Amino acid sequence: MLSRVAENLYWLGRYVERTENIARMAIVEHEASLEGAGNVGGIWDSLIHATAADEVFEAARAESPDLTDSEFLLLSMLNPGSLRATFARARELARGLREYISREVWEEMNGLYLFLAYRKQFVAGDVHELCTETQRRTATILGLFDNTVLRDEGREWFRCGMYLERADMTSRIVDAKYHILLPPADAVGGPFDRFQWIAVLRSASAREAYQRTDRGEVEGPLVAELLIFSRDFPRSLSFCLQALQRHYQQATAETPKRRRARAARHLGILNLDMDAGDVEQVIDEGLHEFLDDFQARLIDVDRSITEDIFRAAPFHPELAAAAEGGR
Amino acid sequence: MARSIIDGYETYGTPDELFDERGELRPAYRELAAALRGWSPERYEERQERADLALLSAGITFNVYSEEQGTERIFPFSLIPRIVDGAEWRTIDAGLRQRLKALNLFLLDLYGEQRILREKIIPAEVALGSPGYKPEMAGYEPPLGVYAHVAGCDLVRGERGGMVVLEDNLRTPSGVSYVLENRTVMLRVAPDLFPRRRVRAVDDYPNQLLATLLAARPPACTGAPRAVLLTPGVYNSAYFEHSFLGKRTGLTLVEGSDLLVDSDDTVYLRSTSGLERVDVIYRRIDDDYLDPLVYRPDSLLGVPGLMRACLAGTVTLANAPGAGVADDKVVYRWAPEIIRFYLGEEAILPNVETFAAVIPAELDHIRAHARELVLKPANASGGYGVLIGPQASEAELEATLARIEAEPRDWIAQPLVEFSSIPTFEGGTLKPRRADLRPFVLSGDEPWVIPGGLTRVALREGSYVVNSSQGGGSKDTWVLGGEGD
Repeated sequence: MLSRVAENLYWLGRYVERTENIARMAIVEHEASLEGAGNVGGIWDSLIHATAADEVFEAARAESPDLTDSEFLLLSMLNPGSLRATFARARELARGLREYISREVWEEMNGLYLFLAYRKQFVAGDVHELCTETQRRTATILGLFDNTVLRDEGREWFRCGMYLERADMTSRIVDAKYHILLPPADAVGGPFDRFQWIAVLRSASAREAYQRTDRGEVEGPLVAELLIFSRDFPRSLSFCLQALQRHYQQATAETPKRRRARAARHLGILNLDMDAGDVEQVIDEGLHEFLDDFQARLIDVDRSITEDIFRAAPFHPELAAAAEGGR
Repeated sequence: MARSIIDGYETYGTPDELFDERGELRPAYRELAAALRGWSPERYEERQERADLALLSAGITFNVYSEEQGTERIFPFSLIPRIVDGAEWRTIDAGLRQRLKALNLFLLDLYGEQRILREKIIPAEVALGSPGYKPEMAGYEPPLGVYAHVAGCDLVRGERGGMVVLEDNLRTPSGVSYVLENRTVMLRVAPDLFPRRRVRAVDDYPNQLLATLLAARPPACTGAPRAVLLTPGVYNSAYFEHSFLGKRTGLTLVEGSDLLVDSDDTVYLRSTSGLERVDVIYRRIDDDYLDPLVYRPDSLLGVPGLMRACLAGTVTLANAPGAGVADDKVVYRWAPEIIRFYLGEEAILPNVETFAAVIPAELDHIRAHARELVLKPANASGGYGVLIGPQASEAELEATLARIEAEPRDWIAQPLVEFSSIPTFEGGTLKPRRADLRPFVLSGDEPWVIPGGLTRVALREGSYVVNSSQGGGSKDTWVLGGEGD
């Protein structure tokens, strides 16, 4: 498969997944702010303000003084990390992949793009509608991708991008709350903490999963365990990493070993470490440090794939065959 | 009963597709006219809205170059089709196949023995002085002897009632995707207009294109040939068409940076598993951007070494570089002579009478009759630089004549063709609007013509300019015929 197409499909998966996460977190943040609990946990701040520096916001405000926080974070094109700007990048990639993706996927993506682009005005009451509609449509895109696009190498790269992004997003959602678990933890399980952990669960679409897995009352360590180590919850770090490894193996089934080895090694070791880890130990040794390290290792995986596969220096198939002992 | 949109339709008094010169409804339009009697303005507008929405949501748009929203526009689409009856179509089909056969023979000769120049059928300065002439192609013999694999010829119905050729496009003609998409949209939003089982399907085009490209593989290619479509990328205004064709033919869509030419003068594609050999390139970028080593050194769109590979015969470029000399508007003046010289036949589809300023006697004619002529720069596209004598001011006319005197090789003149109009919805009713027709011709072993083509329509009242860059729109084109047609 064409390297550029593979790389763009990988990023298509990442941006669609990121769009869905932003929409989900925006709803949680928006509702929490209405109930008077203030900023429930900086999930929003850490995710969105991280990509849009405060100066960008100030500059945008200077241009249009009525710009609200939520408009800036959801719809502003001046903010490269906004929901709309993120999805616009996904759709721009899709435009270049139209001969690869199905017409159904393209039309759904184009529909969401137009939905976000042609909104005349924006008020606070629109947040819920805008975000649930975005979630519904991104879910449709993923479903259509699974059911209308040929299951070839390209689809595996799309899935790799999606799972890598999801693992990264979930780790950031948990990381936004790590400070509550810092020792000495006073009154862990108090109502305010519980409120915050529920926000974490909802941000990761995990509230129902938590309740269905007999974990009982909402408690920080158990929330962390579900979101980091669960083998069954499709947004946990463990789940995403295993899926990423599987899709990577399928994507690179015909890739010469010298190109595919580095990312495969990173993924293998990371998965072994996740298998061996447990939540008590992680909290004792520092949740934040664990998540920081996890994110750094995801970056290694991403870099290996980009450098060794998508942008590798050209070489001849005959020479490669010779180098691999005729494999 | 509510007023229908076809009631009271009046032509310009010049040729029209709905009514013939005696004011009678043309037989090909009988069923359409009957169906339209049931269409009120409200129904038309409701169908139009559905068509526009379908085109927008399918992303069938062209780019208006800037970053803000609303930068992608749909190409205006008119629901009233052009209809060509089976008998007339057989003439068009034969005429276009004849024309492309002759033009390809002309190209092969011009880059080979140049018999046509030695026998002084066409002045050497006209052929060799064309910007489309690429001297580095001299001696190149493409597979099957074909230089122009994909061509689009612009036809209009002239005053005498028959179709005439207005110009040829032999470089990278575009618009075929709209032919296919317009049909898809029409079937969806206006099924009640279609006469049952009589409109010929157009969607064989992608198969024919693929077959044409694969047939043009280099003789050295013995295994399964690999063909790709080379696009300037997603920011090109015709990108929709490139991806559409890629999708429908299965050709891999590549950009210049996806290809490389190695020291073996062979073209390879960069894939996730290494390099893969490429045999045929359907290129949708202009000659001047193909290879920075030969043409524009600042081109980032092309592939360094591509011309070397083409001339070494390891890869076929479709169309071949240098094919543009045969669609030069001055060379066009000699198309009837070219057909006669190579095929020993008279042209089935006539040219528009053309005066080439490079011929002294014809320049005199242009000077004397400028007021009645359309003055055209020979190598501009999109309708730019054209001066319509009857509509021009004295100052404009003089300025253009001065330019013609200074650069006679660059100009031609033609009488104003009152080409035919087609009913088009405007302000609640149907009005005449002039339209041309661009059928696409594929040349492999034998030329093949799509049954139909792109009908482009001037949306402004009285206008002769159908180009999309100047506010033109498009229509579906129906060629009628049953089995055996």
